[in-house]
Amino acid sequence: MSINDIVNALGVTVLLPIVIFVLALFFRIPAQRAFRSAVVIGIGFIGINLILGFFLNNLAPAAEKMVEAAGVNLPILDVGWPAAAAIAFAGRIGLFIIPVVVLVNVIMYVLRLTDTVNVDVWNYWHFAFTGGLVHAMTGNVWLGITVAALNAMIVLVLGDWTAPAVQQYYKLPGISLPHGFSAAAVPIAIPINWALDKMHLDRIQADPEAISKKWGFLGDPVIIGLILGFVVGILGNLQTLNTANAWFNVLKLGVAMAGVMYIFPKMVAILMDGLIPISEGVRDFMKTRASQRKFYIGLDSAIAVGDPAAIASAMILVPIAIVLMILIPQNRILLAVDLAVLPFMVVMTIPITRGNILKTVIIGTIIIAVGLMVGTHMAPLFTEAARAAQFEMPSGATMISSICDGSNLLTWVMVQLMRLSWFGALVLFLIGLGLAYLFRRNRKTWERAAGALEEAEEAE
Amino acid sequence: MVNKKRILVVCGTAIATSTVVAKKVEELLSKRGIAVETRQCKAAEIRSNLNGVDLIVATTPIPKDINVPSVRGLAFLTGVGEDDAVKEILQKLGMEQ
Repeated sequence: MSINDIVNALGVTVLLPIVIFVLALFFRIPAQRAFRSAVVIGIGFIGINLILGFFLNNLAPAAEKMVEAAGVNLPILDVGWPAAAAIAFAGRIGLFIIPVVVLVNVIMYVLRLTDTVNVDVWNYWHFAFTGGLVHAMTGNVWLGITVAALNAMIVLVLGDWTAPAVQQYYKLPGISLPHGFSAAAVPIAIPINWALDKMHLDRIQADPEAISKKWGFLGDPVIIGLILGFVVGILGNLQTLNTANAWFNVLKLGVAMAGVMYIFPKMVAILMDGLIPISEGVRDFMKTRASQRKFYIGLDSAIAVGDPAAIASAMILVPIAIVLMILIPQNRILLAVDLAVLPFMVVMTIPITRGNILKTVIIGTIIIAVGLMVGTHMAPLFTEAARAAQFEMPSGATMISSICDGSNLLTWVMVQLMRLSWFGALVLFLIGLGLAYLFRRNRKTWERAAGALEEAEEAE
Repeated sequence: MVNKKRILVVCGTAIATSTVVAKKVEELLSKRGIAVETRQCKAAEIRSNLNGVDLIVATTPIPKDINVPSVRGLAFLTGVGEDDAVKEILQKLGMEQ
């Protein structure tokens, strides 16, 4: 029996708990606590796999019917961030991701290439996800681990770059948000924001509090799931809507999708619960090593998405995303689970637009439109990565993706460069290094572009 | 035993950071012999989750017009100032020790 056979036979529900247990001991977590949390992580995977199966079994046939009945051909199902995270952690790269990112971070901090100490261990999955796609593409674990490390490196610089803006706008002193998905929007948002300002769109203001108060229920995942299920169901039964049976199916699909939206994240919460002890261990480990100079504590961008402007913009983007999904001819993604997490897409754009809803929505629309094409292109790799991580995929034409990480432009660029194998890795390394160097040389200018105020303005 | 106090932990997703904060608050309070009941929700859902809630611990901005006392939960994520945050929670629950 080779190591590979053993790895495949055990599967993620056993393997990852073992890895996490050993890691937790290394980060000085008491054995009993480490053991329990490791088992809980295995349980989280069981839960996610159950709901993913339920989701695919319900939505895949409905999507197929939609092709016949309405000519809407969207065979790539948006399984959303819960599945993407599970695939990332369950894949071969996920086993190594925690020590790899900690190492990258400590080295960059010591070499003064970053000021962020990223203690948000959960969101290391974004880096493991990119690694998983490259692993699926090349079959080479080392290339996968390398690209994950490079992704962590680039996102740390993005975290530094946006830190003053985030700290001022969201009133989060000492914090940065090195988040693999939210931060990836920043390089796109800055030039678009500049162009929109030239068109004087910054003068049009809408009141985010009023919008989110009035329409907030539309941002509720349960309602999004229900409506989505109804729409897909109606399109799939378009020719038989005069029968009662067709309507029964529509209603059942609506409640099934609402159920997925509600239950899926709860399964992720189990995984989160299991990761808490090791997160604390990593946090203390890194903080004691970062004592030589001041640092930002890198956290999950979830701490900012409660902002009314983020909620309001994301809510407006939900119907826009659905229209784009149908209008863009290249798109094959059927949006679903990730419609509930669009606030993460705009949360770091909002300091750049200074909370302007109109500008944020325009930027978000462009990111989604590009994302749908990018996601369609990456779906075969996404599906392959899921298979490699032993998630059961439906047979036939159905593929999976997600509108957040599966459609992340930064991830796509990295994966494309990695088609060049190690040369691509070198290019990415130089990009990361160059970004860090240029940022640190022109710090104030870059920080202002990301939405930081002039010191004089700040003092007011 | 008096009724358990109910704490609503609020973050952007009701999953990621709020799970960490909820477990941490439970743990730190139980060390002081206080059992609390925590519930998690998203910032956008606060209004429909306020029933019977004694205190809000939020990691993310929450609407200004909520009339339940609230404490910022960031300390439980960063590990900086946890003790002060626990004291503030106890004070706002009216359980100063």
